[in-house]
Amino acid sequence: MTRQIPNIAGALFLGLLVIFPLIYNGADYDYVMHILITGFFYAILAASWSMLSGYAGQFSFGHMGFMAIGAYTTGLFCHYIYLSPEPTGLCAETQLFGQWLVVVNPIGVTSTTLTQDCLRQALEAWGGSVEVTPMPVLLGIVLGAVMGAVAGFLVGMLVLRLRAAYLALFTLGFSEILKATISAEIDITRGQAGLELPPLYASGITLFGTHFGPTDKIPPYYTMLALLLVCLVILGWLAHSRFGLFVRALREDQDAAAALGVNTTRYKVLVFTVTCSMAAAAGAAQGHYVQIITPNMLFLLQMSLVVAMAVIGGIENFVAAAIGAIILQVVLELLRNSFVIGGVEIDMTIWRLVFFGLLLMITLRFFRNGLIAPLIDRFRRHGVAEETVAGRASSITGPDTAPAGGPHRTEAPD
Amino acid sequence: MIHLKVTNLHKRFGGNHVLKGVSFEVNGPELIGLIGPNGAGKTTLTNILDGAIKPTSGTVYLGERRIDQFPPFEVARAGLGRTFQVTRSFRRMTVLENLFVPALALGHARGRADLTERAMEVLEFLTIDHLRNEYAQALSGGQQKLLELGRLLMLDPDVIILDEPFAGVHPGLMEVIYAYIRRVNDAGKAIILISHQMDPIFSLCGRLLVLNFGDLIADGPPDEVKNDPAVIEAYLGAEEEETA
Repeated sequence: MTRQIPNIAGALFLGLLVIFPLIYNGADYDYVMHILITGFFYAILAASWSMLSGYAGQFSFGHMGFMAIGAYTTGLFCHYIYLSPEPTGLCAETQLFGQWLVVVNPIGVTSTTLTQDCLRQALEAWGGSVEVTPMPVLLGIVLGAVMGAVAGFLVGMLVLRLRAAYLALFTLGFSEILKATISAEIDITRGQAGLELPPLYASGITLFGTHFGPTDKIPPYYTMLALLLVCLVILGWLAHSRFGLFVRALREDQDAAAALGVNTTRYKVLVFTVTCSMAAAAGAAQGHYVQIITPNMLFLLQMSLVVAMAVIGGIENFVAAAIGAIILQVVLELLRNSFVIGGVEIDMTIWRLVFFGLLLMITLRFFRNGLIAPLIDRFRRHGVAEETVAGRASSITGPDTAPAGGPHRTEAPD
Repeated sequence: MIHLKVTNLHKRFGGNHVLKGVSFEVNGPELIGLIGPNGAGKTTLTNILDGAIKPTSGTVYLGERRIDQFPPFEVARAGLGRTFQVTRSFRRMTVLENLFVPALALGHARGRADLTERAMEVLEFLTIDHLRNEYAQALSGGQQKLLELGRLLMLDPDVIILDEPFAGVHPGLMEVIYAYIRRVNDAGKAIILISHQMDPIFSLCGRLLVLNFGDLIADGPPDEVKNDPAVIEAYLGAEEEETA
């Protein structure tokens, strides 16, 4: 029963998240929903990063880069590609299943419309007789995830021989190059001006018998929550399969794992592919939710935030990392409220980051596996060892040979 | 029939010629001791056999397969397993999980129950079955040695290289390792035992290989080898040097 406590607590927490939008009715409803949606976004990033770095030991600083690949893939896809029943004769186009796939001109920095140059000219020429269709957002998100997987696969292949700090520096470099490229390719990406994306549900959606408009928070809330759950289920399945076992062996000792028959190359590349795909899917969905993406999402501070969330939750437990991300996102927002002490105003918009940094330092110093993961582990491993290592060693080799001073438990856990 | 054939193996690290044309064969379930002073090239030879490093020249055949260009995981799958001089257990994985890794990597297990049953048999034989759910980092140094041996049993290779299995182990646990080596050898596996401790080498091995500065200077029964002047010189130094 004790070992089931984490499952029960997890189910209750999930249940609370599912019903929360239906029972909460505060005046700041949209704001609170936004915080939680963003929390789910960070939870996907933290959980997938936990699998990559905590389980597999591949300490990557490029996770936000893969997130951006997903966001920009769907952003560019929705900006540049349309379906038309008639050829424009002006744009680059190809026929596909009886429709014309139209690729419009680069958007440039001044354009504020989704239809660019050649397509606009064609629409004017048609005078409303032909209707073009933007590409579906869902397809954009799927493409974003696929592109993230491809990029993850390629980077995974490139870093096969890199370990520890070299791997971290390589992935950091990858992320910085990506940011510079997005910033520089102004004609295509609009650079620092940012790329506008269509909303997740441009025509709204009907849920529970109620129609929600494109700006309502409930549809993106459940979309992001569903995406988080899908990612957690996949990660859970992987963690409990031979994949999970092998990537943990990879983390512990790559050479020893290889000497025992584990194809370390395959699993290193696979773990990059899977986790980067998840980061990209999260980036794509979040991009459509906030409706604008910029290269600033690749700032090192953003990556540090994800790392800190995973570390504080528990880097070696992706569920703990996800829960940590949601809780920290909420706490960081709560800490925005400034207050006055003795006539001096404490500006928490700045001090909250100090609090966050302190929490991170304390966690790293005293709780190396985070604050939540050890709790889960404590329940999960309840009663695992009734007989102590030291005691058994004594029985085998005599009392004077019991290992002294090591990390052995001297009593069974509660 | 086990047949490991090492032919004219050379390894250079820059200007350092570490192995100088080493050749030997292992035929059937032999129990061979590989000895030599520090810097003789034992670990380099082991790393080449295991696939961790590639030879500068020379070949290694296991049965009909040439394995000297294989990556380590393919060498393991071809039937050659090893332990490391410094114990390399998967410290933050449980004892059982440590044993599952090789079995699952080779697809030996027929199901979860079969896998667990086999792992428990191995742990019982090694007298650490009560630690099955402990993290490997909670085990003593000697117990981690046993765990490493257990992983090899799960890998079930034809040729096993044991690199310093007795180093830093209490006499009580040494008995367990002795029993392990004899049982595995009796089960038809060839074992290459590397150790600086001569007692186990002479009591267990029927054949010795002696390396000195990259040369294989002796290959034969222990009684013959220990009286070989070249071996005596390698271990004790030349007479002139001794008296100098």
